[in-house]
Amino acid sequence: MSVTQHDVIIIGAGVAGLTAGAVLAEKGCNVALVAKGEPTACLSTGCIDICSLDHEPLHGIGHLPEEHPYHLVARAVIREAVDRFGKITDEMGLPYVGSLETNRRILAALGTFKNTCLVPSTMAAAPQDEKDDLHIITFSGLKDFYPSYIIARRGNASFSTYEAGADTTMGLAANFERHDFLEKFILWLEKIKIPENKIAFPAVLGLESAARIAQKIESSVGKKIFEIPTIPPSMPGRRLFNVLKDYFRKKGGVIYWSWPVSGVEKAKNIVEAVITPSDGRPQSLNAKAFILASGSFVGGGLHARRDTIVENIFNLPVFVPGKRDDWFDSDYFALNHGIGKAGIIADSSFRPKEAPWENVFVCGGILAHTEVLKNGCGHGLALATGHAAAASCLEYIK
Amino acid sequence: MKYEHCIRCTICVENCPVFRVNPDFPGPKQAGPDAQRFRMEREKSVDKWVLLCSQCKRCNMACPCGVEPAEIILRAQQKYGLQHPRTLAHLLFANNYYLSALGSLTAPVANKIAAMKIGKKIFHAMGIATYIPFPKFSFKTMRGKNKRKAKAAKRVALFYGCFINFYRPDIGRKIIRLLESFNVDVVLPPQWCCGLPALGNGNLTIARYFAQKNAASLSNYIDAGYEIIYTCTSCGLCLLHDYPGILEMPQGKKIAENTRDLHEYIIGLIDDGYIEPQFGEVKRKIAYHIPCHLRALGIGYPAAKIMKMIPGLECEIFDDTCCGLNGSYGFKKTNEATAVQLGNRAVSLIKKTKAENIMADCGSCRMQLGGLSGMEALDPAEVICESLGITGEK
Repeated sequence: MSVTQHDVIIIGAGVAGLTAGAVLAEKGCNVALVAKGEPTACLSTGCIDICSLDHEPLHGIGHLPEEHPYHLVARAVIREAVDRFGKITDEMGLPYVGSLETNRRILAALGTFKNTCLVPSTMAAAPQDEKDDLHIITFSGLKDFYPSYIIARRGNASFSTYEAGADTTMGLAANFERHDFLEKFILWLEKIKIPENKIAFPAVLGLESAARIAQKIESSVGKKIFEIPTIPPSMPGRRLFNVLKDYFRKKGGVIYWSWPVSGVEKAKNIVEAVITPSDGRPQSLNAKAFILASGSFVGGGLHARRDTIVENIFNLPVFVPGKRDDWFDSDYFALNHGIGKAGIIADSSFRPKEAPWENVFVCGGILAHTEVLKNGCGHGLALATGHAAAASCLEYIK
Repeated sequence: MKYEHCIRCTICVENCPVFRVNPDFPGPKQAGPDAQRFRMEREKSVDKWVLLCSQCKRCNMACPCGVEPAEIILRAQQKYGLQHPRTLAHLLFANNYYLSALGSLTAPVANKIAAMKIGKKIFHAMGIATYIPFPKFSFKTMRGKNKRKAKAAKRVALFYGCFINFYRPDIGRKIIRLLESFNVDVVLPPQWCCGLPALGNGNLTIARYFAQKNAASLSNYIDAGYEIIYTCTSCGLCLLHDYPGILEMPQGKKIAENTRDLHEYIIGLIDDGYIEPQFGEVKRKIAYHIPCHLRALGIGYPAAKIMKMIPGLECEIFDDTCCGLNGSYGFKKTNEATAVQLGNRAVSLIKKTKAENIMADCGSCRMQLGGLSGMEALDPAEVICESLGITGEK
């Protein structure tokens, strides 16, 4: 079995895993990150929800039930995590705006508002109320983005359609990365003479250069522009994933893709290595400590059986919210599904409770009692707990 | 096949390079698990667009649910290939091995014709794209160097692959020198095309024919105590993944268990303390393009680890982009536009870094990126040899 020694191995390449990884790599640790596939961050709006229940996110956190994992993280650490995130995204060319003091709104594709905290600069100009009049640009053939939904909710909006030669978010974003396409598009935009004071686009304005592209359009037409998140494939989510990943690598982190962890090697209460069943012979990676950031159900961290919920890598005890009947609310669109509480309960050092492991830490969506949808706290919780778990892990290996 | 595990999250679609640039391809989700529900075993295959999939396997790697859309599409491609008349280009590329063998035997003439206008016209008439120069055949191949020494403690059988054999045997010879300098005995077992080009062109019969010949030969060497080493990551993926999988080789499991990537093997030697190579300085910035199939192997990036040991070398990893050529995929006229767009994107990202060289484990990636960028594209083994002062000549 091939063996390589690391200080820390992180399982999962989502916001939590990449955050923890970057913190450790910055402190000079030899960090490897293993991932089965791509994280659900790629499916997200790219916005950082800290806590959407209240106008002030920190205030909202204060009102969360006492078992919520946010309470394991000191306020100062949450602030530090958010500041650091701002610095990283600035450095990597995907600036975010917003502050921990107040939530802000972005416009959703249905014309409704979504409460969030930090938004990419391409969504910064989203209207905060009904007053702004909008012009919406869409692209012919683009599915699941219908300006009429927004217009039906706001009287002061109209739309135009551009023929872009692509009809998917991915294809459009690739086109916007091309200089000639962008020039031609801006010419068209200037020609149609938009009377409204703000212009809205589905979130397809490029991949790695989105901030720059949005700026260029804005300065050419002399109006504020902003993006509206689409259903997946979501470009803002992918941009977020890309910058966090690139930053982790830049700090010396190593990533192993298509590396699903199938088991562990252990001695007493120490995990020594994780194993993957690659084609041919199993591969293993050794480390002094492990951080589990494998997400919840969609990310593959938790698995629901007929009558229980399991975690397959370390076989950690999982908090199961009652019997199967209690997992789901009868209203499909309710945010109150009991299953949102399922996950791993961590102690204040972010080690899993009631598990024998000394050198295993957990963070992110796999934690219990998060109720991410109800509380609007997905990426924010990932940032905060990723940070805190990394700090705890660092203390352990030093 | 696990198409029912798909939860329609579309992460595979985000990762599909073809979907990004070719609106005719519906993406791995629709071409894979979605369409699979309607594919009846007894009904004739009608989904011609499955041929647009380049089999880069990025969808498999992205999927959080283990669906493996590329495997579903690969099987649909084989079925389509079997039930429909094949185009000349598909037939030729499935038999790339014999074509290259012929080209290599007649190298001085073949290279001239390929570079001439008339050669390009012939290629176009056969449905073959010529946006990058066709690689030059090498008259000398790897054959005829099959001496067994059996003195060192470590013995390997090198599966060098068609690209090295027919186009760049100089790299192959460097690899042999490199391994010998590590006190490892190298033999060249009888070998043929791994079968991947035939699979990629929807020709399961030819792929199995090659696989059987290779499996028998490699299996003999494994029994004699040799480890199999591959240098081309696509050949490697075929040996490890497809031999026990779709090609159903009885020796498949044994071959997969005893086959390693060259750089993975070298890392193993260093880890075990068998060697302590003294890497010399290579002062250069290199853009390391990770071939899709290296990612799919799930062994990390072993060559990147070695690059970190070389003093002075700056090596930046690019693993988000597919080069677009995918073996013979981009050489088909129907896929030319896709391949060129993908390749240009990969090159533009590399050029931003001001790297002096491109590096890639896979010959076809090197051909594409080198051809489109005009930069020199190296095999990682060439860089290691440079660092250790090993030349191709004895």
